[in-house]
Amino acid sequence: MLRFLLPFVSFSAMALGQAVELTNPRTSPEDVAAGAKTFRSHCATCHGIRGEGGVGPALAAGRFFHGSSDNALLQNISNGIPGTEMAGLFYSPDRVWQIVAYIRSLNQNPRSKVPGNIAAGRALFASTGCMRCHRVQGEGGRLGPDLTTIGMSRAPEYLRDSIVNPNAMVQPRYWVFEGAGKDGTAYSGFLLNEDTYTVQVLDFQERLRSVNKSSLSSYKVKKDSRMPSFGKSLNDGQLTDLVAYLYSLRPKGDAE
Amino acid sequence: MKLRTIFLAGFCAWCLPAQVTYERLQNAAKDPGNWLTYSGNYQGWRYSPLDQVTRANAGKLKTKWVYQMSTTHTVETTPLVADGVMYISQPPSDVIALDAETGREFWRYRRVLPSKVNVCCGQVNRGVALLGDRVFVGTVDAHLVALDAKTGEVLWDVQVADYKTGHSITVAPLAVKDMIVCGISGGEYGIRGFLDAYDPKSGKRKWRFWTIPEPGQPGSETWKDDAWKTGGGPTWVTGSFDAAQNLIIWGTGNPSPDWNGDKRPGDNLYSDSAIALDADTGKLKWHFQFVPHDVHDWDAVQVPVLVDDEWQGKPRKLVYWAHRGAFYYVLDRESGKFLTGRSFAKQTWAKGLDANGKPIRLPGIDPSPEGTYVWPGVQGATNWYSPSYNPLTKYFYLAVWENRSVYRKGEQEYSPGNRFIGSVPLIDLPEEPGHGAIRALNPKTGEMIWDYPLHTKPWAGVLSTAGKLVFGGSDEGYFFALDADNGKEVWRMNTGGAIRANPIAYLSQGKQLITIAAGSSIFTFELGK
Repeated sequence: MLRFLLPFVSFSAMALGQAVELTNPRTSPEDVAAGAKTFRSHCATCHGIRGEGGVGPALAAGRFFHGSSDNALLQNISNGIPGTEMAGLFYSPDRVWQIVAYIRSLNQNPRSKVPGNIAAGRALFASTGCMRCHRVQGEGGRLGPDLTTIGMSRAPEYLRDSIVNPNAMVQPRYWVFEGAGKDGTAYSGFLLNEDTYTVQVLDFQERLRSVNKSSLSSYKVKKDSRMPSFGKSLNDGQLTDLVAYLYSLRPKGDAE
Repeated sequence: MKLRTIFLAGFCAWCLPAQVTYERLQNAAKDPGNWLTYSGNYQGWRYSPLDQVTRANAGKLKTKWVYQMSTTHTVETTPLVADGVMYISQPPSDVIALDAETGREFWRYRRVLPSKVNVCCGQVNRGVALLGDRVFVGTVDAHLVALDAKTGEVLWDVQVADYKTGHSITVAPLAVKDMIVCGISGGEYGIRGFLDAYDPKSGKRKWRFWTIPEPGQPGSETWKDDAWKTGGGPTWVTGSFDAAQNLIIWGTGNPSPDWNGDKRPGDNLYSDSAIALDADTGKLKWHFQFVPHDVHDWDAVQVPVLVDDEWQGKPRKLVYWAHRGAFYYVLDRESGKFLTGRSFAKQTWAKGLDANGKPIRLPGIDPSPEGTYVWPGVQGATNWYSPSYNPLTKYFYLAVWENRSVYRKGEQEYSPGNRFIGSVPLIDLPEEPGHGAIRALNPKTGEMIWDYPLHTKPWAGVLSTAGKLVFGGSDEGYFFALDADNGKEVWRMNTGGAIRANPIAYLSQGKQLITIAAGSSIFTFELGK
C-alpha cells in the first residue's frame, strides 16, 4: 500500500507545483534488473542499450538535461518531455521507479582505489609530450581527446590499455583522412565530417579545412590511432603513476 | 507543355474555387500544374508531366522561396498544390496553407495534442489529402480531421483509434471517389492494424479492413492463440488506386512484436503484404505477402506503382514494388500473382525468390540474444520514401540503402500503449555506417540501369519529370537533379537540413516549380535567367 501511496503523493504534489523531493522506493537489485528489462525494450532504441546515448542523450553519466532528481526522472519517463522526441510510458509509477533505479545503476562509477602517485603522473603527463595532443582544463593540444574529466568516464584498466595499446579503440572522431589533390596538394587531418561531395578536417596544424572530393585524385580514411604506444618507453611504475593521475581527472565536486 | 495548359494553370489561381473533384484526381496527369494527391497521380508514379525544367537548363535552378516551420520534429510532408494554394502538414499534426507563388501563409490549423503520445519513430506527418473544398489530415493522437480549405476551420474531427494503445496516424490520407482512405501506425506497440474509409462530408466510417484477421476469417490460420490481437500490420504509407478495377492497393507493415516471432508462429497474414481492396466495400480481392513471418521489421510500406504495359508480348496490368527487404517485385494487378523479382541491393537473408515470389530463406538469419548480422539493416534497402516511375524512360527510380544491422532478440510482454518489439536491434553500426544511392531499375526485370552513389543513407523520395530529370535528396541536406537516362548529376544545392520528404512539381504563373521539405523548411525552386 505504501508503494501505491508514495507515487500518488508525488504526483499530487507536482500537480500543485510544490517541490516535494521523493526518493525512489524501488531500488533493490530485483528492481534494477526489472528496470533494465523495461529499459532495453522501451528506452534503448534512443538512449542506447547501456544508456550510452544515440538519437537520445546519454543517460549513463548521471547528468540529465531536464532534471536529475528522482522526481524529475519519474515525471519525465512517465509523461515524456514536451517539445522533444521523448515520449512518456503508460506504466504504473512502480514500474517507472524501477527504470529510474536502472538508470541510476548505470552511473554508479564507484571510484576505484588505484595505486600510483598522482603528482608523479602529472609530471610525466607534462614531460612525455602528452600535452602536445591532449588538453586538460584548457591547456594542451587538440589532436587527441580532451582529458579534463576522463577519470569519470573511464576505468583505470581502460586508461592503461589506451596508453599501451592506443589502437585498441579509436573513436571515429580521430580517424585520419588522407587525400591527394589532382594538383599535387596533399591533405591530411582528422575527419570531422564527410558527405557525398566534400570532406571537413582538422589538420595536424590545428587548421579547419574543407576539401571538394572532385579536386582529389584519391583519398582514404585510416582508422588507426596517431598516438604512439608508451608501453615500452614508460616502465610499469611510470604507467601506474600516469594512470593514477588520469583517473584523478574529474569534474569539480565529483565525489571522492 | 502546351501553352493552353500553362495559361489555364495560371488563370485558375484566381478564377476557380478550390474544388478538388474525384474527376480531377482521376485525371491528374492532364492537370500537371497542380499536385493534387500524395503521389501526384493515383498510380503512385510521383511523376510530373511538366517539361520546362530540362537537363539543358536545370543548372539554372535557384531558390524561389523558403517557408520555415515552427517545429522541432522531423518534416516528412509531401505538399499538395491546388489552384495556387499549397497545403503542407507541419509535424506533429498541424496543417498550413501557403500561397504557392510566394510561400506566404494563408492560414494554419494547430492541433492541440495530449501530453503523452507515443509514436515509434518520431511525431511525424507525411501530408494531407484534398477532396472538394476540404483538407484532411491524420493526427498522431489517431484522429482524422476535416478542415475547410479556405479557412482551416475544423469541419469534423473523428477518433480513428485510441492513442493510449499506441495507435497514431502519420500517413497522408488518400481521397478516393467519395471517401477518405486512411491508414494507421503502431506496429511497434502491438496494435491490430487496419485500413479505413470515411465519408468526407460527415466523418462517418464507411468500412474498415483489418489487416490482421480474427479467428474464423481467412488468414487467421497463420496466427496462433491470441497473437493476432497484437499482431501489428499497420498501414502507415499512402497506397495507390486502380480506378478501372476499383481497387485500392496498399502496403502493410511488420507483424508485432517486430524481432521476436516465437509467439506468432505462421505466416502472420496480412503483415508485410500488398493488399488489394474493393474500394466500395473494403473487401479483400487479393494479397501478396513479401515476407511471411517477418522477424526483421521489413514493412511493405512502399507506394505501389501501378503501370499498364506489355508483359511477355501481351498487355497486362502490373504492380511494381521495391520492398524494404531488398527485393524488387512485379505483380499482376488483377490477381496479385507474382511475375518476377530480384534483389536491388545487397542482402544476406534469402537465396532468392521461388516461383511464387516467396523468399528462400538462408539459415542463421533470425535475430538472436547475442545479435545476428543481416543485410539489409533494420531500416531496409528502401523504406517509406517514394519511388518514381517515368513513362518516357520507362524506368523505376528509387532511393536505396546499403547497410546491415545487428538483430537482437529478447523477451517482452504486451502492455497497452507501450512498446512491443521483442528487444532492440543495433540499427546503425558505428564503424560501419553503410551508404546510399539513387538507382534506376528496368521495371520489367529489376535490373539496375544506373546508380548515383551517396555517402550517407537517404531518407528522401524521388520525383521524375517529363524534362527527363530525377529529383532526389540526401540526409546530408543536398537536393539534386539527375539525368533520368543515365543518372548524371545536372544540378544540386545544399539546403542545410536533412531531407526526409518527397519532392513535387507544379506550375505557378505559368512557370514550373519544384518543392521539397528540408530540415524544418519548405524550399521551392525555379529556373533563373
